[in-house]
Formats: sequence, C-alpha cells, structure tokens
Amino acid sequence: MATLDLTGIYKQFGSVTAVHDVNFQVQDGEFMCILGPSGCGKSTLLRMVAGFEMPTSGDIRIDSESVTALSANRRPTAMVFQKYTLWPHMKVSENIAFGLQLRRLPRAVIEQKVKESLALVSLSGYEDRYPAQLSGGQQQRVALARALVLEPKILLLDEPFSSLDAILRVRLREELRRIQRRLKITAIFVTHDQEEALTLADRIAVMNAGHIEQLAAPSEIYASPSSLFVADFIGAMNLIPGTVSGGRLMLGALPVDAPAGLSDGPVTVAIRPEDLVVLDAPQASAWSMTVEQISDLGYYRRAILEMPGMQSLKIFLPKALEAQERGTLHVYARRYLVYRDGNAPQEVVRGLPVSAA
Amino acid sequence: MTTLQPASPVVPGFWAGTAASFRAMIRRNGFGLLALIVLILVILGPLYSVVLWAFAERWQYPSLIPQEFGFTFWERTFARADIAEALPFSIILSLVVTLLSAVICLPASYAFARMKFRGRQLLLLSFLATNAFPRFGLYISIAVIFFRLNLIGTVQGVILIQLVNTLLLMIWIPTAAFQGVDKALEEAALDVGASRLRVFMQITLPMVMPALSAALLLTFVNTFYEAQGALLIGLPRVVTMPVLMYSLINSQLIVQYGAIVSLVLWLPSLLLLIVAQRLLRGGYLTAGFGV
Repeated sequence: MATLDLTGIYKQFGSVTAVHDVNFQVQDGEFMCILGPSGCGKSTLLRMVAGFEMPTSGDIRIDSESVTALSANRRPTAMVFQKYTLWPHMKVSENIAFGLQLRRLPRAVIEQKVKESLALVSLSGYEDRYPAQLSGGQQQRVALARALVLEPKILLLDEPFSSLDAILRVRLREELRRIQRRLKITAIFVTHDQEEALTLADRIAVMNAGHIEQLAAPSEIYASPSSLFVADFIGAMNLIPGTVSGGRLMLGALPVDAPAGLSDGPVTVAIRPEDLVVLDAPQASAWSMTVEQISDLGYYRRAILEMPGMQSLKIFLPKALEAQERGTLHVYARRYLVYRDGNAPQEVVRGLPVSAA
Repeated sequence: MTTLQPASPVVPGFWAGTAASFRAMIRRNGFGLLALIVLILVILGPLYSVVLWAFAERWQYPSLIPQEFGFTFWERTFARADIAEALPFSIILSLVVTLLSAVICLPASYAFARMKFRGRQLLLLSFLATNAFPRFGLYISIAVIFFRLNLIGTVQGVILIQLVNTLLLMIWIPTAAFQGVDKALEEAALDVGASRLRVFMQITLPMVMPALSAALLLTFVNTFYEAQGALLIGLPRVVTMPVLMYSLINSQLIVQYGAIVSLVLWLPSLLLLIVAQRLLRGGYLTAGFGV
C-alpha cells in the first residue's frame, strides 16, 4: 500500500517530447486511469514509473522515496503488459514463482503464494499448463497473478485487456476492479478506452500530446471537461462553433443564453446529447430540426438532427418518444458548456421553457 | 457391436486388383517414382558401395557384392598411427572451434538483434562474404598472411581458418533467434526483479535454445568435415580426419581404408542428427512454443 508522486516529469525522444511536465499524486489504494489517444505519451509515462524508461527530468517517488535512479528490477512496482508476456518455456506456476524465487523465499512459501494468486484470478488448477495452452484472457490473468504475487507497492497495467474480445474485456475489467478493491493496492491503469477508464477509475488523468489535460473523478470529467480536447474525447459530445457579440451568444443564426461576463469573440459550445430535450411544440428558445438518421441501440435510440445554418447534432431519444427519419423535432439545450481559448469552460444551466412537456 | 471377421487368406481377384491399382499408380505418379528411383541410385548407390567396401575382405571386379566379408581392415585402419592420432584430434578441434565461435558470435548476435547502430545491416551482410566467393581463393590469401605470422602448420592457424567458416551460421541463426524473442518478455522478467544477466540466462537463452543448438550442431559438423582450410593451413604438421581421408583416397591402393574412414566420419553427423531430433521433438526445449 503506497503513494506515488510524479513531479515535473519530462521525457524527450530525440526532438520529440513524449511527456511534458506531468505532476500528480496517486493516493494509497487509489485506482488511477491514464486515458488518452494512442501516441499521447501515456504508455511512456507508465514505463517511466516501472523503470523501463528514464525521465529526461523530474522525480518519481514511491512512499515519498525517490525511485528515479533505480533500475526496473529494483523498483517496488509490478506491471501487466499489453502483449502476452508469459515466458513460453515456463509453466504457469513457474511463471508466477519466478519473481518469488529471485527473492529466495522457501519453497513451501512460494508454492502457497502461487496457489493463492492463481485462486485470486480464478485459475486454480492451471499450475502445470504452458502459456501456449491458455487462451488470451487466461494468459492475462496469469500475468496479473504474476504481478500481484510479488505484493508490489504499485501495480501498473498497460492496456492489459486491449487484445481481448469485447465481452472478455468487460468481464476481466470487473474482475480486476474486484481484486484491486479487495487487496486495496495502489494501481495505475493505462488505456485508450474511455469506457474502461470510466468504469474502473477512482480518478482519471486524461492525457493529450504529452501533457495531462485534466485529472479528476470520472463523474467530474464527464460533467465538466476542463478543455475542448477532454470534452470531445470523453463520451458523446456536440461541439458547435459560436460567436459572442454584445453579450449575446449566437450558434449560427440561433441565439442562446450566454454566460455572464463573456467578451466578444468566437467560442465553442459543447452540449451532451442527453442534455438536449425534445419539446412537444416549437418554442422561441428551441431549435426545430430535421431527423437525419435514427439508430436503435436497444434501450434507447440515437438520432442525428440537422437544420440549415447549423451543424448536425447528436441526441438520445427515449423509446417512448415518437420520431421517424425526415420528421421534425423541437430540441432544447438545458445545459451546455462554453469554451474559449483553452480556458476552463463556463457552464450554462437553463430551466425548461414553461410550456414544455 | 460388430464382430471382427478374420481376414480371409484368399481373396478372389486380390492380386488382379493390386496389379490394376499398381498400374494406376504408375500412371498417376510415374514421374515421382522415376525421380525416387534415380535418387536412390544417385544417393544410396555410392553409400551402399562405401558400406560394402568397408566390410569387404576381398571384392573383385565382376561381382556385385564382395566375395568375402570381415573386420580385418577395421583393425588395420585403427592400428594406423595417423588415424589413431587424427580422429581424437579432429573431434577436439571441432569442439574447440565450436566453443570459440559461440563465445565470439553469440554476444555479437545478441547485439545485432537488440541494438540499433550504424552499419548494422552492412556488417550482417559482410558475414556472407566468406560464402559469396570461391573459398579457396580466400584461403590462399589468408595463407599468405598466416605464412608471415608463422601460423602455417600450427593448430592455432587451423582453428583460426575454421573459425572464419563458422561466422555466418553462428551469427545469422542466433541473431534471427534473438530477434524472435519479444523485448516485452525480457522487460517482464526485469520487472519482477531479475538482473540483466539472469534475464538473459533464464528467459532469453532458453527461448532461443532450439535455434541455438541447431547452430551449434551445424557448426560442429561443418568444422568436423572442413578439409580445404585445414589442408592448406595445417599441412604438413596438423592433420585432421578429412584431410587424412584425402590422402587415403588419393594415395592408397587399399580402398578399404578410405571406406572405413568415411564410415567413421559419418558417425558424428548421424549422432548429431539423432540428438537434434531429440532436442527438437522432446518436450523440454520446444514446450510452450505450441510446436
């Protein structure tokens, strides 16, 4: 059980800056996800914590002690890799026992620990299999057992489920969360899959182009993304260019309420699809839009709406609502965020118009 | 359950059917059969004659097989001082050359596989050079240098010239094998606390072992049979088995000596073939590779 502190971490590969001034702390027992598109530097950051890459500058501390100068084999971290990295010439039990043998534990203790860790990942009885005889999901579970059996201070996971199929990915994700909660181990999980991050993490660090855009709890990241990048990257979002002039905010030809104190100039308005409500009659403050396309997603429908002088909007429709393609819907944005110049957004929350259903 | 019927000894038309199917087979596989027969004649023919000669006491011209078989010439062959000396010498020499080659080439091939440096590709290709041109020309120019260095007729000289031959195999095969080991597997071992040396010994090396043992076996066998270099550099004082066989075949009237020595020379490659098969088939080297 441990804390991790990253202070002023930079990583330079030649002329490319892979990681740019990263600072954060992971609390004891916290599950932190580093989320970002491929090439954003999230794996490099994790590899620096593990000791596979040296930061160009900055300090990494585990339990307040600097590990920056320690090589990978001396750090109290254990990693689960994206690729299958079980050693093919060793049985499952030997794979798990390898690190324990290096610590010169008595044989009986090793056997006991191997057994327990296999039970933890629900693979009891697989001791004598070779990795080639396991499925991808089983291999990653053994890799998790191999990491956990060493009782590391920090557990590192580098997109461990990305090569598995969707159903298995979800199941292993849940299992991982359960194990992490039970062991109360400090964990960092790198992923490009926002759903994975949103379901697993206590906090998410969203990374883009080498730096952290936002670090917050999943609900906060979803509700108030601190930058346009995060707004676009997490969840479905309508991003609409607008202009402010004389305290009025125009989206195309349509006025909406502007946040107070906004000076004139271009802005971007972000509206979540679920913040768009459908009214049963046209209103001055609502937009009457044409339904371009409806996709039925089971318990709800997703529609794309269009309107001249305005870009198309994504919206979620309840099953009960009657709507068909080429029909008209009157939609009203009850909550949106206004972004300008990379600054934190201003939120606008509006009550429904009086005659709304 | 059906009861098993005892096979009837006489099946009507059995042979007729066989003959018909044999004719059909000839029609279908005529070319293949012909090729097989030619192969048997060309490859097994000489071998057959060598084996017969090795055990022949007397074999005169018109007869297809020797008139008399026996082991007299075996005794006489191994009683020869030159053979008694050359055989163990050749084995030890091949072992030494293989070992030296491994010591020199394995770290190099690991570097080729794991490091990126300028001229890597060119250097790798350069090992092909010894095989790209007629070797004897190369040997002669080496011999000129060795002559100045007083290496002609010395064991060191023979070891050096034979090492040249081993470079290609001992660099290329292990390099490919090391490249086949995913770096992440080594990182995973580092991660659980293994030192670099331990990672190499316990993770990387076992994984390349099948390829590595193939390279070692091939190197040993190639060196054991190498005659040109040893002939040019070693003579007159250093005589290996293949060199000795040259002189036995060229200058002896007794065919049996040559035949027996060739049989003895086959032995290592036969043995190594068996060992190699065991290595590759037996579970412990390839276990987990899904082979």
